[in-house]
Amino acid sequence: MTTAESAVRYHDGTAVVDLPAQIDSTAEQALNDAYAAAAAHGSKTVLLNFAGVDFLSSTGIALIVGILARARKDGRKITASGLSAHYKEIFEITRLADFMTIFADENAALKGEGPK
Amino acid sequence: MTRDDSNWAKPVKTLESSDRDGAINANVHGRRLNAANGGFGRLFQKTFSVRIGPDVTPQAVIATWKTRFGEFWPKGQRMFLPATGIAPGEVGIINASIPGTPTMATGVLVIYADDVSFSFMTPVGHPFAGPLTFSAHAGEDGVTVAQVQELTRASDPFWELAMMVPVLGERMQNDIWRSTLANLARDLGAADATVTSKIVIVDSRRQWRNAKNIWQNAAIRSGLSAPLRIIRRG
Repeated sequence: MTTAESAVRYHDGTAVVDLPAQIDSTAEQALNDAYAAAAAHGSKTVLLNFAGVDFLSSTGIALIVGILARARKDGRKITASGLSAHYKEIFEITRLADFMTIFADENAALKGEGPK
Repeated sequence: MTRDDSNWAKPVKTLESSDRDGAINANVHGRRLNAANGGFGRLFQKTFSVRIGPDVTPQAVIATWKTRFGEFWPKGQRMFLPATGIAPGEVGIINASIPGTPTMATGVLVIYADDVSFSFMTPVGHPFAGPLTFSAHAGEDGVTVAQVQELTRASDPFWELAMMVPVLGERMQNDIWRSTLANLARDLGAADATVTSKIVIVDSRRQWRNAKNIWQNAAIRSGLSAPLRIIRRG
């Protein structure tokens, strides 16, 4: 089984996680490591950047749900950006949008500009 | 178009369900989907896992599970699927029996399906609000693991109270997946069908604004409509 990688960048109090192209069971380690890195850095907000994602399975949704659950317990905020129309639809079906603010892109998220 | 496009159901405002032989088709048609935030009770993240073995691939596990989903449920729980089976956008009708009570009718929407996983969302009135994901993957030691994951709340105060009743609550909310996974593992030849559970309370607050969901409660409505069904059968 191949494993994916997530890059984590930091802007003030926000950790930007560039998600791997494929979010399924192969991304578990990458997502957990990225969240752990953001937590260790003391980031108050974790921005999940979906710009490079082209495959998201229900297992991937479950992984994101796991990150949301951890963040909620830790008092950390999760936001998302770079969602294509297709992934916005998926967030609508799964109602993930109930748990996180969605921004049009990374810049808007970092500036805290109106959710899209 | 992304690579997963055909694996996801299209968004729907309300569910559509057609009658199926032997099924009580109620509390599904016209109902909207309910996410975890639309529920009432404490928010749980649950993961149930069972090791199947090294000789069965994750794809084989999911193929069997999809084809015979209802067979692995505990006695008294039935799932009626259309001929297309577990496929994105299909609606499954659930008839659940608890001894001494009328059969509860509810359902699920299949929101995702591929060769190693599938997911359901529940309509308003179902005991739980939130997504359920069924998957199989190769563990670090190469052994295939089957899993059920959920992020759910009890839909309304009735279900929240029921879940808190000793034995009954555990049976309703957790034993169904422990039994399902153990039955699946045994069917696929697992030497040890012990199911491990990880249950975390993510949010212990009740969402009182959603207490009104009780008007849609599938058990109450099934109970109230049971005499009518008996009269119709005449």
